[in-house]
Amino acid sequence: MRTSRTLGIVMIAPAAIMIFLFYLMPAILTGIFAMTNMSTATGISGGVFQVTQGAVNRLGPDMPELASGIAEPRFVIDEEGLAALEALKLKPGYAAELRGQHIGEVFASRREAERVIKALKDRPSTREVKQISDLFNRSVLNTRFETRDALIGNLEKLGFRLKPEEQDKVARETYTGWVWTTDNFKVIANSPDMAKIFLNTAFYVAVTLMLFNVSYALFLAVTTHYMPPATASIFRAVWLLPRITPVVIYVLMWKWLTWDNGFISMFMGQFGVPPKNYLLDNAYNAWFFVILINGFIGASMGMLVFSSAIKAIPQTHFHASEVDGASRWQQIRYIILPQLRWPILFVTCYQTLSLLASFNEILLSTRGGPGRATEVWSLAAYHTALNNYTGNLEYGLGAALALMLVIIGVILSLIYLRIFRYDTLISKPLIED
Amino acid sequence: MRILLDKFSKSFGNTKVIEAMDLEVGSGEMLALLGPSGCGKSTTLFAICGIHRPTSGRILFGERDVTSLPSQERNVGVVFQSYALYPHMTVEENIGFPLTVRRLPAGDIKKRVAEISALVHIDNLLGRRPAQLSGGQQQRVALARALIRRPDVLLLDEPLANLDAKLRLEMRSEIRRLQKETGITAILVTHDQVEAMSMCDRIAIMKEGEIVQIATPSEMYNDPRTAFVAGFLGNPPISFLKGKALSGAFVSGDGNFRLPLGSLRDIGDGRALTLGIRPEHFGPKGDLVIEGKVAFAETQGRENLYDVVLADGSVLRSIQPVRDDVKLGDCVRWNLSSEAAFVFAEDGRRL
Repeated sequence: MRTSRTLGIVMIAPAAIMIFLFYLMPAILTGIFAMTNMSTATGISGGVFQVTQGAVNRLGPDMPELASGIAEPRFVIDEEGLAALEALKLKPGYAAELRGQHIGEVFASRREAERVIKALKDRPSTREVKQISDLFNRSVLNTRFETRDALIGNLEKLGFRLKPEEQDKVARETYTGWVWTTDNFKVIANSPDMAKIFLNTAFYVAVTLMLFNVSYALFLAVTTHYMPPATASIFRAVWLLPRITPVVIYVLMWKWLTWDNGFISMFMGQFGVPPKNYLLDNAYNAWFFVILINGFIGASMGMLVFSSAIKAIPQTHFHASEVDGASRWQQIRYIILPQLRWPILFVTCYQTLSLLASFNEILLSTRGGPGRATEVWSLAAYHTALNNYTGNLEYGLGAALALMLVIIGVILSLIYLRIFRYDTLISKPLIED
Repeated sequence: MRILLDKFSKSFGNTKVIEAMDLEVGSGEMLALLGPSGCGKSTTLFAICGIHRPTSGRILFGERDVTSLPSQERNVGVVFQSYALYPHMTVEENIGFPLTVRRLPAGDIKKRVAEISALVHIDNLLGRRPAQLSGGQQQRVALARALIRRPDVLLLDEPLANLDAKLRLEMRSEIRRLQKETGITAILVTHDQVEAMSMCDRIAIMKEGEIVQIATPSEMYNDPRTAFVAGFLGNPPISFLKGKALSGAFVSGDGNFRLPLGSLRDIGDGRALTLGIRPEHFGPKGDLVIEGKVAFAETQGRENLYDVVLADGSVLRSIQPVRDDVKLGDCVRWNLSSEAAFVFAEDGRRL
C-alpha cells in the first residue's frame, strides 16, 4: 500500500514538475509581477536608496523643507572631514582652525563653505580650497545608500530630524528597486488610454468572432456539406491556406495589397486616384483590414470543427428530414444548427480566448496604428512590457494587463457556458420503462 | 395509393444494383420486399421515397409520375432502420416535424400530434427526448412521425431489426394494425421471412437485384418458384437432397430410394435434380420410407426438431410434436409425403 502510493508519486513526478514549471509558473509569475512596479528602471532584483531629482520632486508637496534642503548640496564641518583633511598632509593649521572655530557648522552651499575655508589664517590656495571643501561635502542628492539606515543616518547628520512616518516616506520615495504595489490596477482603471484600448479589444474580438470565426465558418461548413465530397475537400483545402501560410508571409501579402505602391493603389491609379496606404490611411481602413486578416485566418478552424460536426450527424437524419418535407434551408435550421450547439460554443469560447490573447497579426500589419487606433489589450501589454518606444519596459504594468486578460477570458467563458446552457448539452441517462 | 415501378434500374457508379425491375403494389396493400442483405431491397425503398434517383425507368404513385420529384414533394412516410429520430427534439417535436416544416399553425400540429401519438400509444411520452426512450418507444415515435402527415405511401426499412425478440413480436402486430386502420399502402423491407410472412399481404422475394417471385405468403410457401424461394421461406428451413431423374422418378445420389413424381414425366433420364422437403413433411406419416440416423435433436417445447443423416451423407430435417422415444444416434425409419416434395432443376427452377 505504502510502496504503491510512493510509486504513484514517483510516476507522476515528471509530469507534475513539467506542469508546475511550464503551466503554473508563468501564470503565477504573471500574477506576482502584476502586483509590483517592476520596470527597466527598477530592475528585477533589489535596489538602493538614492535621492534623485525625481524623489525630491515627489517629496516636495508633503515635506517642502526637507525637499528643498536635500535638493541642494550640504557642507558640514565634522570630525570625519577633519580626519580626512589631516590625512592629506596640507598645512596643519587648516584642520586645527576648522576644528577649533567651525566644528559642527553646516553650510547650505559650496560657496558659503568655501568662503569660510578661504578665510582661514593659513590662506589656502584656490586649488586647496576646492580640495578641502570636497572633504566636507555631505550632500545626499544622487548619492547611493545601500541600506535605509545609511540614508536616514546621513540625513540626520545634515540636520534633518525625521519622525518615523517621515522616515518611511523618504525611504519609500528614494528606493530605486521594485516594490509591491496595486498601482498598476489603479493606472489601468483610471487611464483614458486603457479605456480606449479596452473598447478597441471588445470591438475587435466581437466583430471578428461573430462575422468570421463563427458565421463565416458556419457558412463555409454548411455550403461544403452540400457539395460533392471531392469538390468540398478542394474548397476546404483552399480555405485552410491562410492558416497554413506562415503568418508573416500572409500579412506581407496584405501589405502588398494595401501599401501606397501596392495593388489597390496601382489599380486605383488607373482611375486617377493618387496612391495612398490603404492599410494605415485611417482608423476605419485599419480596422477593416485587421479584421479581414484575422477573420480569414481564424475562420478555417471553425470551418473544420463545424464540418466534422456536420459529418457526425447521421446521414439518415438528412434523409429523414427530406422525406419529412424539409427544404435545404429548413434542414439547416432544424437539423444542422441545433446539433451544432456544442461545436459553436466550443469555437466561440476558444476563439474568444485566442483573439483576446493574440496580437501577432495586428503587430505585423498595423502595429496598433494609425496612432493607437488598432491597439488591442494584448498588444498594449506587449508594448508596455516588452517593446516600448521610450525604452522603459514596465513589466509590472504589462503583467497586470495580461492578468486582466486572463480574468476577462475566464469570465467570458463562464458567461458562454451559461448562454449555451452547457448543462443541457450533457446527455441524460437512458430511462427504460 | 397504388405504387408502380416500371423498368426501374439503379446503379451506383459502375455497380448495377437493380436492373429493369417491375413491381406493382396495390392501393391499401402491404407488401414485403424480402431478401438477403445486398439484394437491393433498401435501394428500391430509397428510390421510392426519393432519396436515390433511378438510373432509368419510372416510378408512379397512382397515376402520378414521381420519378424526378425530390422526396419533399412525394408525400411518403418512411421508418428508417435506425429510426433517425432527431436527438435534439422532444418526442412531440419529432412527430410534429413534417407539419412544422409545412408551416402549419402550432395549434393544429399539437392536435394532430396528440391524435397520432394516441394511435401508437405514446401519448404519455411527448415531453421526452429520443435518448430517454426505449427501443420500442423510439420505434413508435418513428412510426408516428411517418404517419402524421397522412402519406400516400408508408415505407418501412427493417423497422424491427433493432428490437428484442418479444418486442419484435408485439410491434409486428402493432404495425399491421396501424396499416390496416389507416388503410395506407405500405412497403416493408426485411430480411426476416417470419416478419414478411406474418405482416404482409404479399411478398416480393428478391435476389441479386431481381424479384424472383411475388405472391401471398401461403402461396409462396406452398408453391415456391425456385429453390432459393423455397430455401428462404420456412423456419426451420427446407432440406435439399441431390439426385437425378430416372424414368419419371427422383433417385437419390446413391440410388437408395426412388420417388416417382408426376412432374418428372417429360424429364430426360440422368438429369441432375434437387429434391426439397420441408421438415413437417418428413416424420411418422407419409408414403415413402426413408432410413437414417439422428444426428441432431432439439426440443422447442411444443415441437422437436431432428436432423437425420441418410446413407449418402445428405441431411433431412424433421419437425414433430414432442416425443421422447428418439435419442441422438438412434436409427430411425421415417416417412416422407411424396406429394409435398418439391423438385428443382439444376438451375434452381422448380419443375
